[in-house]
Amino acid sequence: MNLSYLASLSHYVPELMAVLTMVMLVFIESSYGRNDKKRSFFYFGTFIGLGFVLLSLFDSYNDHSTAIFTGSMVIDPFSSLVKIILVVGTMASIYLAKESKDIYGHLKPEFAIMSIGVLIGGMILCSANNFLMLYIGIETLSILSYVLASFKKNDEMSSEAGLKYSLYGGVSAGVMLFGMSHIFGVLGTIQFSGVSARLLELPTTDIVILLPAFLMFFAGVGYKIAAVPFHMWAPDVYEGSPIPVTTFFSIVPKVAGIAVLVRVSMIFFGSPGALQVTWVGILSVVAALTMTVGNVSAIGQKSVKRMLAYSSISHAGVMMLGVLVINELGVQSVLFYAVTYLFMTLVAFYIVTFVSDKYGNDHFDRFRGLIVRYPLMTVIMAMVMFSLAGVPPLSGFVAKFNIFGALVSKKYYTLAVIAGINSVVSLYYYLKLVRLMIFKEQESNEVIVGFGTANQTLIVAMAIPVLMLGIFWSKLMELTDGAVLFIAP
Amino acid sequence: MNGSSNLLNWILWMPIIGVLGVLFIPKAKENLIRFWSLFNTVISLAISVVLYMKFDQTVPGMQAFFNVDYMWIKQFNIHYHLGIDGISLPMILLTSLLFTICILSSWTIKKSVKGYFALFLFLQGSIYGVFLSLDFFLFYVFWEVMLIPMFFLIGIWGGENREYAAVKFFLYTFFGSILMLVGMIALYHASAGTDLGVNTFDILALSGGKFQSLNMELFGYTFSFSKLFFVFMFIGFAIKVPVFPFHTWLPHAHVQAPTAISVVLAGVLLKMGTYGFLRIAFPIFPAASVYFANCIAWLGLVNIIYGALCAMAQSDVKKLIAYSSVSHMGFVMLGLAAMSIQGMNGAVLQMFNHGTSTAMLFLLIGILYERSHHRWIIRPDGTKGFGGLYTQLPKYTIIFIIAMFASMGLPGLSGFISEALIFLGIFEFNKTITVLALFGLLIGAAYLLWMFKRMFFGEVIEECKAYTDVNAREVLYMSPLCVAVILFGIWPSPVLNIMKASVGQLVSLMSQF
Repeated sequence: MNLSYLASLSHYVPELMAVLTMVMLVFIESSYGRNDKKRSFFYFGTFIGLGFVLLSLFDSYNDHSTAIFTGSMVIDPFSSLVKIILVVGTMASIYLAKESKDIYGHLKPEFAIMSIGVLIGGMILCSANNFLMLYIGIETLSILSYVLASFKKNDEMSSEAGLKYSLYGGVSAGVMLFGMSHIFGVLGTIQFSGVSARLLELPTTDIVILLPAFLMFFAGVGYKIAAVPFHMWAPDVYEGSPIPVTTFFSIVPKVAGIAVLVRVSMIFFGSPGALQVTWVGILSVVAALTMTVGNVSAIGQKSVKRMLAYSSISHAGVMMLGVLVINELGVQSVLFYAVTYLFMTLVAFYIVTFVSDKYGNDHFDRFRGLIVRYPLMTVIMAMVMFSLAGVPPLSGFVAKFNIFGALVSKKYYTLAVIAGINSVVSLYYYLKLVRLMIFKEQESNEVIVGFGTANQTLIVAMAIPVLMLGIFWSKLMELTDGAVLFIAP
Repeated sequence: MNGSSNLLNWILWMPIIGVLGVLFIPKAKENLIRFWSLFNTVISLAISVVLYMKFDQTVPGMQAFFNVDYMWIKQFNIHYHLGIDGISLPMILLTSLLFTICILSSWTIKKSVKGYFALFLFLQGSIYGVFLSLDFFLFYVFWEVMLIPMFFLIGIWGGENREYAAVKFFLYTFFGSILMLVGMIALYHASAGTDLGVNTFDILALSGGKFQSLNMELFGYTFSFSKLFFVFMFIGFAIKVPVFPFHTWLPHAHVQAPTAISVVLAGVLLKMGTYGFLRIAFPIFPAASVYFANCIAWLGLVNIIYGALCAMAQSDVKKLIAYSSVSHMGFVMLGLAAMSIQGMNGAVLQMFNHGTSTAMLFLLIGILYERSHHRWIIRPDGTKGFGGLYTQLPKYTIIFIIAMFASMGLPGLSGFISEALIFLGIFEFNKTITVLALFGLLIGAAYLLWMFKRMFFGEVIEECKAYTDVNAREVLYMSPLCVAVILFGIWPSPVLNIMKASVGQLVSLMSQF
């Protein structure tokens, strides 16, 4: 069933809304003078616009799944849920950028506009149903990200980050495109459903030819989610970028990349066979490496932001574990993980941003004795650290539990044990921060401006899901359970 | 099915109510916080006494009267399921008693009183949770939650090297738990394939050797499902006990922790490990447990001898007691490995008795430390740390003698009964181990008496002359333990009667394999 162009548009409201918001913001921004620091109408427009995007996503969440634009995109509960995560992540990052001192004042509106652009790329990416749309999504996502990375124009690290990001990105996009054209050459279609149908009837020799092509394709996606060995750019980019940008990077492109990986794995490799075994094998090795390298590298870090950057690499590895299970249980566990990861990451980065704004850097030592000055913030930060490590009764634990459950249901015990040992390693460096915050004497009595009442309230509001989703997670399970993938005919 | 009583809910959540109360009391009102916490633990103690009175000692297994069972997460069939039987009740009683005493002994804590008591009550709640849970998932959650307050209690209120000890404790236990988690999920997924027909985390449903015929492939080799995951669970619980070679966190944690926390660590926390064997590892994997029984017994023996030898070499008296715990937990492992009526009863009784006697010793050392601010029997520079305490602190010495002899296993005191039962059990099981373990007893007597001689006899050294004898508060909280140690040495049947039926049921299950 092919929907007409107009009918397709009616399913495409959230994306259209995001585009409209972006365009509207460009106009609003140009109406301001250079010296107007507050730009209250601009931010009002931003959050209203994104709020409408969110509303329309919620509204269409329960609609039945369909393929739109002659089958080049699909709208299904899975993609809607991922989009909701992306929009929330974007909104929170924009608010953080507004509050942070890490971004030059006159660039803040530009951050908002460009991050919405990245968001649109991400939304295309998680709905993409053929290679072309996928490529467009990845490129939209990437090109604007390069600019965001080098936002601190006068800072060497930031320029380096931007250059590194774009060089790596360019190369991996090229490799990916080559892989895609190879797949097209062998199979004669770029439509996902067509590819999966052709894969089933392909003789083994052709599959062997295709494998390198899939590997190249994987390189492009793996680069976006910073999977080892395509992760080299990540720590430098995360460190060089302003913290709100880092926050944004560790949520939006990563979750969108994982979503693509889920869709591709489910559609292409859903049926058992040699191809599936190989794909699962590759993903297993990459996931295990990603977790381990991320965690081991995080141990020695002196900057909290860099530590979180490495830890987010390892979290991507854990999410990949859910992907490689290639069944409903796995998809569900990945979505659950993504939701909890969103809140944990946001809270952690918010707190790091405000501390870093005060002192100009985010070394571990700046967190010494924070409990004396800001007990509530410290308790929340400690809670998030425990949650990231996977200590019950916090949501991070339940997320890991789901992933483990999916792994064990397929009898991948070794991977489960590797993941388990990794969370012990991660606990070590998370505890390092907790220790400094709570056991050590404070360095000074200075007030951290960022911890105003409004920001503290927001942090508490984002921390509530971290705790509550660890205890009452039945509802979220229902939600992720319903977020099924739609495989277009 | 819910029983007609809500007592288990009350006892589990009472400490949490206590935590909330502490959080609402202003920081400056330290005495109010102390009295509130004491009041709270006394209520918990009272509820446990009610539990004891309502408990039907003739019924083996879980008592339907107390059963609490609600659906928690329906997608995974996870229940909020609490229950109590003859193995968990002694542990609940011990926990309630020790926490009340520890609140009294923590009266002298000066550093952020509010945080201390809040975390302490939180710890109590999570420990009750471990002993009451009948759903594996719930059990695991409490098992892990307990680490958080413990981490902070050691890390903030501990001695000089507290951070290292706290982190080591946390990481070690977390590592063990992760293996347990994998095993737990594997059980869940395997349970649908057994006669249960559904996936479940219910410990009672999983018990009874349902998994012994299952095999699994790993790297091309075939493993027995139950043996592999028994080992996973074993490591998880063994770290807590601690069984050699997983014991290295213990001396640090015990020595660095503040007195009350050492008491809880030695008195209750270590028992969670052996309780795990009794509640989970043995009933769920009976065949594998029988298969590995010899191994467990030998490890227990190593614990006894190695712990005792290490204790002998210590010059820090708290470290000495810490190692003596390693040694005494070895006896519990021996009793478990014997898998006979006497051995198992002895093991559970030893869990209870070790809880009281070691708690006494740690409390006594805490009392002494408040006066001396050091714990050296022999200082690093070779001079004596204490001497002639007997003439200076006569009342203190009497209590110390009771505790020491109970710990040594002198007839007439509680330690003797349980150790005798364990030896009866293990004798049938393996005579070599029995004989070697007896040497452990001998070394135990040696290090305790030697320590006693060096600290309490001889010339009074100058600084000891300033020490004051135990005060009324200290006598108040030591006396229930003294009574318990003496009473259960002469008349152990109150405790034995509680556990008899349940232990008998477990033993008869094990004897089928």
